[in-house]
Amino acid sequence: MRKFLNGLYRFSLYAAAGFIVAIVAIVMAQVLLNLADRIAGFLFGNAIGMTVPSYADFTGFFLAAASFLALAGTLREGGHIRVTLLIGVFSRPVQRWFDIFAVAVALAITCYATWYTIALVYDSWSYNDLSPGMVPVPIWIPQSSIALGLLILVIALLDDLVCQMRGAAASWQGKGENLLESAEVE
Amino acid sequence: MSELALVFFLLVVLLVLLGAGIWVAFSLMAVGMVGMALFTEAPLGDVLATTIWGHSNSWALAALPLFIWMGEILFRSKLSEDMFVGLSPWMNRLPGRLLHVNIFGCGVFAAVSGSSAATAATIGKLSIPELSKRGYPEQMMIGTLAGSATLGLLIPPSIILIVYGVATEQSIARLFVAGVLPGILLVVLFVGYVMIWSLLNREKLPVENEYFTFREKLHRSRRLIPVILLIVGVIGSIYAGIASPTDAAAVGVVLALVLSWQSNSLNRETFIAGLLGATKTSCMIAFILAGAAFLTISMGFTGIPKLLALWIGSLGLSTYELLAALTIFFVILGCFLDGISVVVLTTSVVMPMVQQAGIDPLWFGIFIVIVVEMSQITPPVGFNLFVLQALTGRNILVIAKAALPFFLLMFVALAAIVVFPEIVTWIPNNM
Repeated sequence: MRKFLNGLYRFSLYAAAGFIVAIVAIVMAQVLLNLADRIAGFLFGNAIGMTVPSYADFTGFFLAAASFLALAGTLREGGHIRVTLLIGVFSRPVQRWFDIFAVAVALAITCYATWYTIALVYDSWSYNDLSPGMVPVPIWIPQSSIALGLLILVIALLDDLVCQMRGAAASWQGKGENLLESAEVE
Repeated sequence: MSELALVFFLLVVLLVLLGAGIWVAFSLMAVGMVGMALFTEAPLGDVLATTIWGHSNSWALAALPLFIWMGEILFRSKLSEDMFVGLSPWMNRLPGRLLHVNIFGCGVFAAVSGSSAATAATIGKLSIPELSKRGYPEQMMIGTLAGSATLGLLIPPSIILIVYGVATEQSIARLFVAGVLPGILLVVLFVGYVMIWSLLNREKLPVENEYFTFREKLHRSRRLIPVILLIVGVIGSIYAGIASPTDAAAVGVVLALVLSWQSNSLNRETFIAGLLGATKTSCMIAFILAGAAFLTISMGFTGIPKLLALWIGSLGLSTYELLAALTIFFVILGCFLDGISVVVLTTSVVMPMVQQAGIDPLWFGIFIVIVVEMSQITPPVGFNLFVLQALTGRNILVIAKAALPFFLLMFVALAAIVVFPEIVTWIPNNM
């Protein structure tokens, strides 16, 4: 079970990274076409006007997928920002309850958002909504990346809640970036 | 004023949630949900879902992960070291030495990124390890970064100026040009402050006994050539009309990959580590932006910002009083909304008031951007503070305290453009 869950978070984080690479690829393709156009315009006097169809739309879709598929992995590696200033003054056991409370609140909000995002995907699918660009894409396809990312976040938060209730440390404990040489890591 | 009581109530909810250690993005969403559920009849869940979707699939926002990735690649290559080796001989005579690298580095990078969070993240990643290795005081290191990273909002191409230009029907090119002199003014103020501070606190700075002839300086600086090539490539592709900021960011990623491959620092391991780092950082920022977008929409439904602006308008203030009131208003809004949201949310209400008072909308655009810059480094919600918190592991009050002198310097710059509006309007009016 533990192995499966870690694999899930890892897989979705890598998928998110893949979408960022895809953004670079699609945008670079467009830049190179623009460049080719300029050269063609310079040599032959008229530009061809080549474009990657709907590339701005696709870039946006890939961005949404990258942002949301990475949510769970980012959570577990301490990437999301929270203010630990006030709860830092309490003793470890009290801080543990604050952590559990934070996870519970986040879980409630994420469940709510996931439910309505799935409803949004369902609506887009049942009305057969298309994206407005040159290449009409059924909008439920890119939207479902957000629903999926939120769903995986629900699983990750639930996972953390159960583990912490059983007395384990939070999955993000002691992680996150720290570039100061002198900084003490807890 | 029952509306003010409402604002106060929501602010308290936000502070309690943030203080209890709820993640920032979730806190923003929660306050938006509370505001909407209690004070409107709007369908909360549907608005939440459409807002999250609508504000996450944005072409312009795609520049963010790409610029962050570029920084991650450069961070893992030898370029960051080269930048310091190349810049340090030139900075040796300036009191404050390498602290100025933060300011100039941010100033240069701001020219390519247009986002202060991305600027803080990129330059911070390059400079924090180098400066702390050399023993520079942490407070000045964080302060210079927090302050100068906000230049990303002002120095073109700035995303927030594009938003303002669209919202108020001002020429974006003129706005970009208008931002040049105030940007230089801020750099001069920051550099001047660091010099004075360093002269007063000599003992806190590390001693560097290296002296160079001019030829040696040039020789050392040859290692800067890759960095300069990268910047020229990125800026050049924007100004040549080949590329928008997002395009330029993609070009930047490819060039950074090529450069780090040439310096033999690109391998499978560093590639994946950099990419995953960028994925996580941009996920964090995108999720906070999604939360802020929902809060903005929710506030729009409650009508709070509109009521506040109308209330200020009803007081019958003079121009200076109006500007002072608006500054306070924007700084308060900026404490819990991101800069672009503040601009989008308020311009439609504030602009008629501003124009009636005889204030030039072009000038007001620069004014509002500097105020928003200031709000980026004020707690409890300041994006630069969060980024620096993530980079240094220090708590947010330590970072805010380090940033305070730079906050005050921005206030000086703000006063300067109020007293001498020509700082903003001279270049665009003489083009």
